[in-house]
Amino acid sequence: MSLKNFSELFVDLDSSNSTNNKIEVLKNYFLSNDPIDNSWTIYLLTGKSNKRFISGRYLKNLFSQIYEYPEWLIDTCYLKVGDSAEVITLLLKNKSTSRKKELSNISLNELLSKTIPDLSKLNEEEKNFKIKNMWETLPEDNHLIFNKILTGTFRVGVSIGLITKSISKLINIDEEIISHRLMGNFEPSIDSYEFLINKNINLQELNSKPFPFLLANNIEDKIFKHSINDFQFEWKYDGIRMQLIKRSGNVSLWTRGQELVNESFPELVEKMLHIKDDFVLDGELLVWNFKEQIAFDFSLLQKRINRKSPSRSIQIKYPIIFIAYDLLEINGRDIREIKLENRRIVLEKYFSKWQIKTENNISDIFKICDLIFPKDWPDALTYKEKSRENNTEGLIIKKKTSIYSSGRKKGIWWKYKVDPMQLDAVLIYAKGGSGRRAGLYTDYSFALWKDKELIKFASAYSGLTNIEIKELDKWIRKNTIEKFGPVRSLKPEMVFEISFEKIQISKRHKSGIAVRFPRITKWRKDKKINDADSLENAYELMKKIS
Amino acid sequence: MSTKQQYLIRYKDGNLYCELADIWIDPSKPVKKALITHAHFDHFTFGCEEYISTIETAILLKERVGDNIKIKTFEYGEKFKINGINISFHPSGHILGSSQIRFIFAEEKWLISGDFKLQKDETCQQFEIVKTDYLISECTFGLPIFKWDETKKIANNISKWINNSPEKTSLLFCYSLGKAQRLLNEISQTNFKGNIYSHGSIYKMNNCYKELGIDIKDTIKIENKRKIDELKGNLILLPPSLSKGSYLKNFKNIQTAFASGWMSIRALRKRSGYDKGFAISDHADWDGILEVVNKSEAKNVFFHHGDSEALSKFLVEKESINVLFFGK
Repeated sequence: MSLKNFSELFVDLDSSNSTNNKIEVLKNYFLSNDPIDNSWTIYLLTGKSNKRFISGRYLKNLFSQIYEYPEWLIDTCYLKVGDSAEVITLLLKNKSTSRKKELSNISLNELLSKTIPDLSKLNEEEKNFKIKNMWETLPEDNHLIFNKILTGTFRVGVSIGLITKSISKLINIDEEIISHRLMGNFEPSIDSYEFLINKNINLQELNSKPFPFLLANNIEDKIFKHSINDFQFEWKYDGIRMQLIKRSGNVSLWTRGQELVNESFPELVEKMLHIKDDFVLDGELLVWNFKEQIAFDFSLLQKRINRKSPSRSIQIKYPIIFIAYDLLEINGRDIREIKLENRRIVLEKYFSKWQIKTENNISDIFKICDLIFPKDWPDALTYKEKSRENNTEGLIIKKKTSIYSSGRKKGIWWKYKVDPMQLDAVLIYAKGGSGRRAGLYTDYSFALWKDKELIKFASAYSGLTNIEIKELDKWIRKNTIEKFGPVRSLKPEMVFEISFEKIQISKRHKSGIAVRFPRITKWRKDKKINDADSLENAYELMKKIS
Repeated sequence: MSTKQQYLIRYKDGNLYCELADIWIDPSKPVKKALITHAHFDHFTFGCEEYISTIETAILLKERVGDNIKIKTFEYGEKFKINGINISFHPSGHILGSSQIRFIFAEEKWLISGDFKLQKDETCQQFEIVKTDYLISECTFGLPIFKWDETKKIANNISKWINNSPEKTSLLFCYSLGKAQRLLNEISQTNFKGNIYSHGSIYKMNNCYKELGIDIKDTIKIENKRKIDELKGNLILLPPSLSKGSYLKNFKNIQTAFASGWMSIRALRKRSGYDKGFAISDHADWDGILEVVNKSEAKNVFFHHGDSEALSKFLVEKESINVLFFGK
C-alpha cells in the first residue's frame, strides 16, 4: 500500500523476461494493495501520463549543489547510465546520514496526488529543500521510482496488454472487456479502478470508449497461394489511425495511441454531429489535397496533431479528411463479428445515405476508402509499386471473411509496404545512446559524397543487431578523430546501406535534402568509402520518385 | 616535468614494465620474466620463461594451465631483490592469492595495486594498505555511480531470488575463479538451504580453494543428464561463457542472473539478456579507489584498466593529487 510496494513491483517486473511471470506478479500486486494505489499503479505503468514535475537537468543541478559534486562528473556518469533519475539514484547511495526513514510508508496516492504536485506551489528554495528532505527520508530502495516520477521518465517494460491480461485474470473477465475499459483516459481514482475490476459488464458506461484496434501484420508469402478474390485491397495511408465514434449525440475521436483528440479536429466533430445515425468507424485521418484527391505529406498532418483549438486559418491551410475503412457499430449494434465483406456493404449503404442528405454536407471532410481490385497477385504488386504516386505507403490486404478482433491478430490483415529507398553512405559521427543503449555509441550520422567532400545527410540509430552495435562501438572508440562533448567525429571508413521512406528538398540541411525514417539496413563491409553514393545520386532518386 | 624514461615503471607495448629489473607485470605477450598479480586469464599469458607470484596464485595457475610453467613463489610481505630493486607482494583482496606489488629503489616506493577490493571476503586475504610514493591503480569502476552494497545484502537478495521461484532452476552466472567461491561462501550463510550445483570449471576451482584451506560449501558437479525435477528450486553456478548458445537447452524452466559490478546499471542489466543482475564485484568501487589513493599516501597516481578520465580529473580538482599519464 505504498511507494515501497510499488518500488518492489518495479524491481520484480524489471527482473523478469517472462510475460506469464509478469502477469502473475501484477495480479498478486493488485490483490494485495489498496484500490487507489492500484489505480495509480496502472496510471504509471501504462504511461497514461508522464508529466514532468522537474527536469533531469534541474535534478542534476540540485544534487550537485547539495552534495558539492562537480556537474561534469554527473554528466560523465549520465553517459554511462543514460537516465538522469537513475544517475541521481546511484549517486545518492549512502549519502543520507539520517537513520529515520519517516517516509518509508508513504502511499502512492499521497505521493502522487499531494506531495509531488505540491512542489509546484513552492518557490525554488523551498522546492529544493523539500526534494532534499524527501531524498533523506525515503528509503534508498525507493529513490529510483521517486526520481523517475519527478522527472516524468517512468517507463518499464509493461505494455497495456500486460495490465489487461493481469486484470482479466484477476477478475476472470474477457480481455476484450478489460482492454475496452482501459481505453482512453484513465483517471487515477478509486472509482476508475473499481470500474476496471467491476465484474458486471455495463455497456452504458462504456459508451464513449473505442473498440480495441485491429492491426495488420507484415506480408507473409503464404497468402500468395490463396485466390486474390479472398481478399479486400485498400491503400495504406500514412496518417493517424483513428476510431470515430458517435453515440447518443456525442462524437469522440480516438487515436490508436488511445488519445481523445476531439479538440485538435473540431471541424470533423462538428460535421459528424449532423449525421442522424449512431456509429463507430475505423479509419485514417489525413491532411488532404482536394484538388488532386490524394493525401498530403505526413509532415503537414504534424502541424495539426498537437495543436488544440486550431484557428480557422489553420483549418483552411491544412484541410483534414477522415477516410473510413470499416464500420464496427451501427445504431448501438456491435457488428464486429460480421464478416468484413458484409460490413463493407453496410458501410457503403450508410455512407451513401449520409452523403445524399445535403444538410450533412460531409463530402469535404469525410469519405470511405476506395477499394482496389487487382486481377491477380502480380497485378497487386503493380498497384503496390504505384503507391508512391498517390502518397500512400503500399497496400493493406484484408481477408474478406475476417471478423474485427483486436490486436495484431495473425492471418487476417496484412500490410504490403512499398520497398524503401536506399543509399549507401559513410559513417562520420557517433553519439552516445541513452536508456538501454547508454554507454554505447549508437546514434550515428551518415554522409554522401559531394565532389571530394563528405556531406552529412541523415542520422539513424536503428537497424543494427546488438552484436553489430557492440562491434561498431569498439571500432568507434578506436577510430575517433575528435570528441565534442558526447559526439565523436570518426575516420571515414565504414559504409552502411541507409533506407528511408521519403526524400525531399530541404533548405535547413547542408546537404539540401531531407529523408524520412532513415534506418540502417545493412552494414556494407564489402564496400569502401569510394563506393558510397553521392548527393547527385540522391537528387536523381528524388527526381525518379516525383 | 619528467619524461617517461625516468619512471621506474612505465608502459611498454601496452604492458607495465620495469626496465631496471627487466621485469614485466601481468604481460599480455610472452616475455622473459613476468610478475603475476593473480590467476585470472586476462592477467596471464603462456610462453614466459619465468613467472613470479604468490604461492596461492601459482597453485591456482597450475591447476588452470598445467604444471608446465616455471613459477617462483613468495609469501605476502616477503622481500626479494632483482637487479637491486626490492620487490614484495601484498594482499589485494581481489581473489585468493591476489596481490599488490611494491617496488622500492633508491628510497623511491612504487606500488602496483593489481585488481583489488576493500570489501570483506572470507575466501581471500583482506586488502592491506601499503604506503607508497607512486601508485599505479586499477580503475575498472572509476565513476561515483558505482557503490557496492554490503555483500550480505546481495547474498540475501540472491537467496530470496531462488526461494521465490521454487518451481524454477536458478542459474547464476559468475566468473569461475574468485567470484564463484565468494558467492558460495556468502550464499551458504543465507537462508537458502537447497542444493548448489556447479559447472566443472567452477567445481575445479572450488576444490583448489579447499586444498588451500578455504572453507567453502560442497557443491554437486553439474552433469548434463540431471533430472529436471532434481534441479527445481536449486541453484546452479555457471561461467558467463555458457550464457549464450545451446548449453541452456539442457535445462527447463529456468531463471538466469549475472553477478557482476556492471549489473548496478539498469541499461547494462537489460542489455545483458539475463533476467536479473546482482551488483557484486571483486573490484573496488569509486569510494574504494579513493580510499586507497588517500591511504597509500601516494603523491603521484597512474591509472590503468578502465576509463580513468573522470577519476583523474576529480582527484586533480578536489584532492589536489598529481595524476600522471603513461605514454603508451
